[in-house]
Formats: sequence, structure tokens, C-alpha cells
Amino acid sequence: MTEVEVSPEVAEYTEVHRHPEPKGFWSKYIFSVDHKVIGIQYLLLAVVAVFVGMALSLLVRLRLICPECSYPTLGTLFPVGAPEGVMTPEFYLAMLTMHGTVMVFMVLTTAPQGGFGNYFLPIQIGAADMAFPRLNMLSFWTTFVSFLLLMAAFVVEGGAPQTGWTGYPPLSAVPEATVQGIGQDLWLASIAVFCIASLLAALNFIVTILDLRAKGLTMMRLPLTCWTWFITAILGLLAFGVLLAAGVLLLMDRNVGTSFFVPGGLVVSDKQIDHSGGSPILWQHLFWFFGHPEVYIAILPGMGVTSHVLSTFARKTVFGYRAMVYAVVAIGLLGFVVWGHHMFVSGMSPYSAFVFSILTMCIGVPSAIKTFNWIGTMWGGKIRFTSPMLYSIGFVSLFVSGGISGIFLGQPTIDLYFHDTYFVVAHFHLIMGVAAIFGMFAGLTFWFPKMFGRMMDERLSKIHFWLTFIGVYAIFGPMHYLGMLPHPRRYAEITGVDFLVEGGAAQLHLFITVAALLTVLAQFLFLYNFVKGIYAGKVCTDPNPWEATTLEWAISSPPPHDNFGGKVPHVYRGAYDFSLRGAKRDFAMQCNDDKAVYGEQSAASGD
Amino acid sequence: MPAVLTPSALPAERATGDGGFAALPPDEPGGWQRPSGGNRIVQRYKLGVWIGMGGILMFFAALTSAMIVRQGLSNDWQPFSLPPVLYVSTLVLLLSSVTIERAKQALEEDSGDGLRKWVNVSAVLGAAFVAFQLLGWQSLAGRGIYLASNPASSFYYVLTAGHGLHLLGGIAVMAYIWVRLRTNSPWPTRSAVVEATALYWHFLDALWIYILGLLLIWR
Repeated sequence: MTEVEVSPEVAEYTEVHRHPEPKGFWSKYIFSVDHKVIGIQYLLLAVVAVFVGMALSLLVRLRLICPECSYPTLGTLFPVGAPEGVMTPEFYLAMLTMHGTVMVFMVLTTAPQGGFGNYFLPIQIGAADMAFPRLNMLSFWTTFVSFLLLMAAFVVEGGAPQTGWTGYPPLSAVPEATVQGIGQDLWLASIAVFCIASLLAALNFIVTILDLRAKGLTMMRLPLTCWTWFITAILGLLAFGVLLAAGVLLLMDRNVGTSFFVPGGLVVSDKQIDHSGGSPILWQHLFWFFGHPEVYIAILPGMGVTSHVLSTFARKTVFGYRAMVYAVVAIGLLGFVVWGHHMFVSGMSPYSAFVFSILTMCIGVPSAIKTFNWIGTMWGGKIRFTSPMLYSIGFVSLFVSGGISGIFLGQPTIDLYFHDTYFVVAHFHLIMGVAAIFGMFAGLTFWFPKMFGRMMDERLSKIHFWLTFIGVYAIFGPMHYLGMLPHPRRYAEITGVDFLVEGGAAQLHLFITVAALLTVLAQFLFLYNFVKGIYAGKVCTDPNPWEATTLEWAISSPPPHDNFGGKVPHVYRGAYDFSLRGAKRDFAMQCNDDKAVYGEQSAASGD
Repeated sequence: MPAVLTPSALPAERATGDGGFAALPPDEPGGWQRPSGGNRIVQRYKLGVWIGMGGILMFFAALTSAMIVRQGLSNDWQPFSLPPVLYVSTLVLLLSSVTIERAKQALEEDSGDGLRKWVNVSAVLGAAFVAFQLLGWQSLAGRGIYLASNPASSFYYVLTAGHGLHLLGGIAVMAYIWVRLRTNSPWPTRSAVVEATALYWHFLDALWIYILGLLLIWR
């Protein structure tokens, strides 16, 4: 091999970003700077968190259908929260709070972006790693510390916080208001640390997409997954700083005696609280300024995966690619100006409510564009009903079902009735909870062969899809009726309201709880399939089993340490070139030039 | 020819022409675009700082809006005069922006000694700024104005502490630069780290001017 002297600039550049393959256990699997390992670490964290979150939701459901039932094991684990195994109302609230927090932060925020984004963004744009690999490692471990802090809230005196995932003061700001000790402080600390981790990760994602794209990969050739990770990162960058500020102020209200959010003259349990002049509404504004973009942080990556998978298995290009990109950007922008619709009942001016309502309705436009384009993508396609395709179609269904109830809730007059009822619970679970989870299922089954070089069992995946798809509708469908009664949410039990205690409502609750139990059981099928797939799945030697177009499918499975094995990917076309006329096969990979797609002669004759 | 080739035909496909995968020429960095128009790694680090500014600005924007709302909400806001030492600390911070520019200049001239000297001077000035800010806290405490005394003082302490913590981060990076320069080992990201630190430092400078203005105007 001839030695060529490289320019200092290139030498410097190469040196910095070619981190050598680690050999030791710690540097390879624990404190790894490899984006693929970090992506899997995020996914594992999310898997642990999602099972914790599901267990908590089951406790919530069990308390709702039978307040006086005793569960001895629970009594042993939580002698204060469940004396003799009977859950107290405070315990119910704590489980509900932790369910929401764990699911929103540790599952919906980490897995789609930190997990799949970390693993596949650099590969899809033709890079060997994220822009700042060490910062990436720091982001994950900071997130991990945040998770530990949150879990610690279970075991401290007074137990986990009881203020809901929104942590509204004065309940969250005045320790006297609840029996809890430092559980709420740990919760706030966990959120603050999580904010810092997410800010660092967002920065890394944005720089990576702007700076590390392969030659020829213009923004309008990016896979839609990358676009959604990009917009999600921008939302995270601008939203988490606000939550961090709010969290710091609330921590001080609790511990140093400031009065940012605690009003004056507050009396709790016959005791005058020594605070003055703060505003609980101020917290709501700051929280929801973060909280609404957070909803999109959870759902946008799912939209990206859905677009990607639908196109791949319909063997058609994404219908209206540009419209899809602009719709994602529009949803991201609008997400910052609609936070007031969470606060219609806070006593805000009706004029403000009107503005927030109009802006909220506007989100229906890009959302509808996306839905129609998903249908347009499938329309007339040669659809291959693989498991990722099923999950993606499920995503579209859940997104529409959850979105339609959003149009009800976005109108102040109707929201006055529906606010804090099960209608809201049904709405947000369908659209940001379950839809996002289906996005993850789609991503996991789609990319599994690439990540592990083996296939998951298609049959089991499909059974799991149908069980879960029917299951989630059985859980959240009836909640709309509960909400219409109206059955309030966040109540451990209803007493003295005859029409809610007797008759239909109680039966609906029972039905929902049974459905929830069965749906949770079905998740173990997926877990089994996943774990079995890693160790004993059918070996997949083909780098591109789905006949997909993007760069990750051009390299071996699992990808080598530096992704492209010392080669430079060049991109010649958009991400969704399927069913090309005159091409040698029905798809063209992004790295295929015209000669490779159409053959020597056709390319020469310019066909 | 079949309309859909079997996947097994893929590798052969790629063997014709480069199939989109150029073998790595010796001077190609690999996986990334060819460096063009200046040093890419410097540009990337600076881009990171620019993006990071967005997140930090949102943090202080949230505090600003909370401050304005909180002041307008109730009658327990008690304005107080700022401790004069703040103006000294402001001058010190402005001076440190000048010295960090000198460090960049030394970098351009490839003067290791100059770089080390000016980074150190900047770090010392930054530490002096923090010290003066602490004196400001002490002088307020001497007047009986504490963190929880009233919302005006609460925001004063929160804003100055928030800015100070970001500044300590900058000083930590300068200390890192100092250590790296002392060991004299090859350091490919040297220019990038120094330039990004300088950019961050100027940002903190501007941020402080903003906070000072806010504290003066919105008392």
C-alpha cells in the first residue's frame, strides 16, 4: 500500500472522529461512546421503565374496581401505602403519578429518540457516529441517574409523590399538603436531571443532522425518520430548558421558603402556610409550555417510522414527501403556541382561551395532511403485510382515533365539561401513549434484523399485534363513555354519586381492568419474541431483508463498529424510490447511482 | 429480466461500478463530507455551542417571563437597589472577553505560550467575576435581603446563580484546556475546543449584560 501524506486538517479531522473499536467490557458495553450501543442502552432503559409503568397502571386499575380488596404481597412491599394489602387512596395517587411520570419521561421520551434515533440516525445519514460521541454517552448516563432518582421515590419515607405527572402546586409545593416526605423532591430532582440529559442529547442530534450528512444527502432527501428526529430534537432543545427553570423554582418553593407558586393566605389542615403572593397558574403556564411540545416529542418519531415503514411495505414512494416534511415542521411550530388548551378551566381570560383554541384547531391541518398522505402512500400499493407494516397501520388508526377526540377537547366550551374526566384519559393515551408505542413496535420489528442480524418470529409478532391492537381499543374506547357521564379522573374511588357507583360505570371499569390485564399479558409475548429473536431467531444474512432503500440496509447486520467499514457512502436519490419505471428491480437504494439502478445502457441513453 | 430481483443479487449489483460506495481514498476522512471552507471540526464545535445557546436562552427566557408575571401578580414585590459591586464584576467579565480573544489570536499565531497565558488570564478573570458576584450576595445579605425575603430578591439570587453556574462550566473547560496544554500531548481538537470556549464565553458575557439590564429595569 502506498503511503500518502494527508493534509494536517484531514488528519486532525480523521483522528477526532474515528474512535477505535473498544476491547474491554466496560468501554464496549457500559461506558461506550458508540451510538449503536448507546441506542440499545436507551432502549433497555425504556423496556425496564415500560414494565414498571405497566405494573403501576395495573395497580391503579385494580384499586378502581375494588377499593377494599387486599393483596398481601403489596402489603409486604408497601406497609404504609397498602396496610394489610389494601391500597390507600394516597397510594393510588402515588401509583398514578409514577405511572404517568415513568411512561412520559422514561419511555415515550427515551425510546423513540434516544433509542432508535441514536442507533439509526447516524447510519441513515451516512455518518460513523453522532457529532459528539462523548456527550452522547453523558446524555445516556445522566438519563440513567434521573431514572434512579425517580425510582428512589418509591422507597423513601412518605413514599412516591401524589401530585400527578403535572405536579401542580400548591399540592406539590407545600409539604404539609400531603403526607409525603422527600418523594416529591426526588421527583423534581429526577425531572431536572432528565431535562439536562435531554438538552445535551437534543444539541447532539441537531448538530449531527446539520453537519454529518453524507455527500449528496440534501435535507429533502433525508428519510422521514431523520426529519422527525430533527424536529423532535429542536422541540426538546427549546422545551426542556423551560421545564428545568420551573422545576428549580418549585424545588425552592418546597425547600427554601420562596413563594414563586404558592399563594398567600393558604390554609392547609387548619394551618396557615407561611408563603405569600405566588401563583399556581404560573407553574401551569411554564409546565405546559414544556408539556405540549413534550407530547410531540413522544409522537413525532413514531410518525417518522410509520411513514418510512408504510412506504417500504406498500412498495410506493411516500405520497407528498415535501408536504410530510412541512407538516412535521408545522406541527412542531404550532406545538409551542397551544399550551393554554391544557388550562381552559384555570380561570384564564375567555379571549386567551379563544386564541389557544383556534391555534389548537390549526394543528388539525398538518395532522390531517399526514393522515391523508399515509393513506395515499398505501393506496394502490403492492402491500406486504409484515408485522412492522401492521404496527404502522395500527399507528395510523390510533392516531386518528385519539386525534378526533382532541378536536372536542380543544374547544373551551366542550372542555369545561370534559376537563379532568376519563374522556381526556382516553384521548391522550390513544394519541401520545399507545400510538407512540405502536411506532416503537413498528421500529423494533422493522430494524430488528439490522440490529441483531436475526429475525423475530413473524407469526408471534402478528399475534401480538392483534392482541394489543384490540386490547388498547378495549381499554381506552369505553373510557370515552365514562368521560361523557362524566366520570372524573384521578379519583381513587367515587362515593355518594349513585349513577357512577351503581350500574354502567362500574361495569365499564371492570371491563377496562380485565382488558388492561390481558393486554399487559400480551406484552410478555412480545418480550419473549424479542429475547428469543436475539439469541435464537432465524439468522438473517441478507443485509436488506425488507428490500428497503435507506443506507442502513446497505451495510451488514449488525453494522460494523464504524458503520460503513471505512467506505464513504454517497447518496444519489431520495429516500423512497420504489417501483421505478424501467429500473432493474422495484426499488433503488439511496446509495445506488443511475447506472446501478437502470443498468449501463439505460443510464447512457438517458432514459 | 424479473421486475424484482432477489435480495441475493444485491452484492453483485454493488460490485458493478461503485454502487454508491466509494472505497476510501487515503486522504478522505471517511464517513463524512470532505472538509471544505475552513476547519470542519472547529465549525462543528462552534455549531454545537450555537445550538446550546438556544437551550440556555430558553431557560433564562422562562425565568424572565416568570419574573415579569410574578411581579405583576401581587403586592409583595419589594424593589431594592443593586449592590454596586455588580458593576465591577461586569467590567471584569467584559475584560475577560477581550482576553479570550487574545487567546484565539495566539492560537492563530500557533503560539502555545500565548494561548496558555491568555486562557489562564481569562479563567482567573472569570473566577474573579464569580467572587465579585458572591460579594454582591454578601452585601445583600448584610442588608437583610435573602433568597426567600421577597420575590424580587428571589429572582435576583436565582438569575445570578443560574448565570454563575454556566460560567463555572466555562471555567472548568478552561481548566481542562490548561491541563491539556501542560501535558503537551497531541491534541487534534485544540482549535475547536478553544474557539468553542471563546464563543461560549462571549455568550455568557452578553447573557450577563441582559440579566443586569433585566434586574435594573424590572426592579
